[in-house]
Amino acid sequence: MRHRILIVGLAAILFIGVGAVFGLHQGESPNANTAQASSSLTPGQAPADQLAGSIARAQEHLRAVPGDYAAWAELGSAYIERARVTADPTYYPKAEGALRRSLNLRPSGNSAALVGLGALANARHEFASARDLAGRALRTDPYSAYAYGVLADAETQLGNPPAATEAIQHMLDLRPGLAAYARASYDLEQQGRLGDAAALMRRALGDAVDPADIAFCRYQLGELAWRSGRLDDAETEYAAGQAADPGYLPLLAGQARVAAARGHTIAALADYAKLTARYPSPGYLMDYATLLRATGQPARADQQLALAAAALRLFRANGGTDDLGVAQLALAQGQSRQAILAAKREWSRRHFADVADVLGWALHRSGANAEAIFYARKADALGADNSGYLFHLGMIELSLGRNGDARRDLSAALALNPHFSPLDAPIATAALHRLGPR
Amino acid sequence: MRRLVSLGLVALGAIGIALALPARPALAQPAHPLGNFSVNQAIGLDLYPDRVAVTAIVDLAELPTLQERPAVDANGDGKASAAESTAYNTRICNAMAGAVALRVDGDRVRWSVRPAGFEYRPGSAGLHTSRISCAFDAAADLKRSAMVDLGNEYRADRIGWREITAAGHGVHIVNSPVPARSVSDSLRSYPADLLGSPLDQRSARLQVEPGDGPSAGATIHLSRGDPVSRWVAEADRTLERLVGGHLTPLVGALAVLLALTLGAAHAALPGHGKTVMAAYIAGRRGRPRDALTVGAIVTLTHTGGVLVLGLLLTATASLAGEVVLSWLGIASGVLVAAVGVAMLVAVLRRRASVHDHHHGHSHDHDHHGDSHDHDHHGNSLSHASRRARRLSLVGMGIAGGLVPSPSALIVLLGAVGLGRTAFGVLLVVAYGVGMAAMLTAAGLVLVRVRDRWASRPRRALARLTALAPTGTAALVLCVGLGLAGRAALGVIH
Repeated sequence: MRHRILIVGLAAILFIGVGAVFGLHQGESPNANTAQASSSLTPGQAPADQLAGSIARAQEHLRAVPGDYAAWAELGSAYIERARVTADPTYYPKAEGALRRSLNLRPSGNSAALVGLGALANARHEFASARDLAGRALRTDPYSAYAYGVLADAETQLGNPPAATEAIQHMLDLRPGLAAYARASYDLEQQGRLGDAAALMRRALGDAVDPADIAFCRYQLGELAWRSGRLDDAETEYAAGQAADPGYLPLLAGQARVAAARGHTIAALADYAKLTARYPSPGYLMDYATLLRATGQPARADQQLALAAAALRLFRANGGTDDLGVAQLALAQGQSRQAILAAKREWSRRHFADVADVLGWALHRSGANAEAIFYARKADALGADNSGYLFHLGMIELSLGRNGDARRDLSAALALNPHFSPLDAPIATAALHRLGPR
Repeated sequence: MRRLVSLGLVALGAIGIALALPARPALAQPAHPLGNFSVNQAIGLDLYPDRVAVTAIVDLAELPTLQERPAVDANGDGKASAAESTAYNTRICNAMAGAVALRVDGDRVRWSVRPAGFEYRPGSAGLHTSRISCAFDAAADLKRSAMVDLGNEYRADRIGWREITAAGHGVHIVNSPVPARSVSDSLRSYPADLLGSPLDQRSARLQVEPGDGPSAGATIHLSRGDPVSRWVAEADRTLERLVGGHLTPLVGALAVLLALTLGAAHAALPGHGKTVMAAYIAGRRGRPRDALTVGAIVTLTHTGGVLVLGLLLTATASLAGEVVLSWLGIASGVLVAAVGVAMLVAVLRRRASVHDHHHGHSHDHDHHGDSHDHDHHGNSLSHASRRARRLSLVGMGIAGGLVPSPSALIVLLGAVGLGRTAFGVLLVVAYGVGMAAMLTAAGLVLVRVRDRWASRPRRALARLTALAPTGTAALVLCVGLGLAGRAALGVIH
């Protein structure tokens, strides 16, 4: 009996000793519970109710197991997804907190957290940093479809279409589905292949289950129809989107555009008022201002531009960089010199079609047409068959006395979509009229 | 082209609202904690025996404040005069009173509205936020039992924080679904918990009784339980801290010791049917070796179970731990019940064999050293019943270890999350060993007590002992069914 007690005691001491040996080898704590992080993205993955459920489950799980880095990354991704679906940016800081927590718990080999931080960087217009994060995530996990998604988004915005196309191809190979189809569709659209883009978006729609995802696909199909001037088709898609998810705000912008194109100005203005009350983003506010100006309400238009300026100021105060938005606003306010400066700053960061277009137009507005045409052509080359770009190019050509080119490009702009802008479309028509038949 | 920007970004899915203004924490000028275009509302309901009162607060973030500027500054002189402010305050409160519906037993009350304040507060980027206060008051008869329904539809489509609080004064709210005090200090400081979603409380249904009393139970979590449970919970937290903290040899040793102790405590606490195992050992005239066997199997099962479950939970967050635990509980209970059935069958068979034909010892002679262990009734164990007995022992061990101790699971997941997987596994093994030690010790004590009892045979006692196997088998069966049933209730709910 005494022997047994002795043996048991010795075994216990040995066992406890193993614990001590661990203490000897492991040393410093991996610094849990300090900073905050962000996580991975799964665009168009979890249906809304499922999303709410998975957020609640992850929150509960992490209250019990605060050291689970994978769950933190998953929660961060869910917050980003939530911000996308609800247009509620409150979830971005939360997402960043969760993702950084995950990365602190597991600094290496944590691709999910890196992907999430990349998605967040894209949302903040920090495209170069998003590209870096996606690259780091892919070095950890070369099979992460979502990392390729973040990379594709960043490369697109940085004006690197071949790299974006390649990333999207990887994504399609690894995980064909809504997120990959939607990106591939956009890629095709950029190449001017609108029919193929629509076909792929229909495939994405077939994959969509969640109302918000259906609304997203319907909106994109509506936009493709709008781009080629098919108002009825666009309206049908927007309506179908609203039937699926009345809360998906971009649909309201689409409907407002169609209403304005049909001459239903009051309805269009009401849509914009509703949209910007709920979601005062600089882009929507500037669209609203354009329509107000086109309908002869310059004072109210200026009010919306002042709001857009405040929104951009807040974006900057919160650490974001959006010189493209600043340039667009300066143009809308008639300050072409400031627009040139901002657009040049943005162009030095990224060679994106929109940036070239705004820079070219700002240069034209201040009379530098020779320089302007370089950027206008660049925009047209980077983003195929865009009415807005073609209109700007044609007007610049007109200023340079290249009437033949101007006639061709202005006609092309109106042929693509005769309603492309409530302000600019009539100008294009008038200019063509002055030019007369060839 | 602006359209194209937004088109492109929306097409890119995850960054669909790139033109929004995602707030960034930790900058000199903090953004509105709930986003620069949120409209946040707090409804504070006070119930009195003869009336109801609402304090409504609206907190507009920077952009809505700017959007409403023309509504405040009616004459457009760029200033908000006192008269203009009061007029705006009144307009907002009237609109809100129309959207905040309170019904007492289905009848909507008529508010008398009093504007209670409007002020601009400094926000980020040199902009302002607004804080608008309103007071609504209405007569209501709450001297009797009543159902009070509150709904807030004010600016229902806006993004923002929405909370409802309710307090009774001389009125008792039964099981209030909403807290009595605002968690955001009436929209002054929003909780920044990473694990909490913004409140979106738009309605509340309150059962009201006359008389004073505690008005809200929604936010209060009392730490319940007996001193032992509390001590175990405290030890759990200590162990989690140890795992996450700075590791020294002493801390490592202490963690293992604590894990051993917690494992033992887990086995000792009622509710997991482990105690029934001890009864089993006693009832089946188990030997000390049986106790050890069960202990070893418990350790193995528990360690393996925790490791597998931990792996599953790490691999996917869509798996709810509690549900898995409930199912394992059912399996464990069924297993115990099955063992009980097997015991009962064995007892009955043995009875039959005692009456019909005496079994010689011949079958047993190949099992050396076991003879001291033979049944006191003189009938020996057949080969088959021996195997059944082994199987029962293994079954009991598996049943005992199948339901992982939640705290072992938490410690393992915590350790994995911190990159200390091996240490976590060691602690889980320690849990299992602690459990096994407790069960083995209990078994040994029971064997000893029984032996002492049996060595002084008296007639009454002998008869009692004769009944013991049947009783134990029945007990094991009942406990098994009970455990399975309780776990099943957990799955249903």
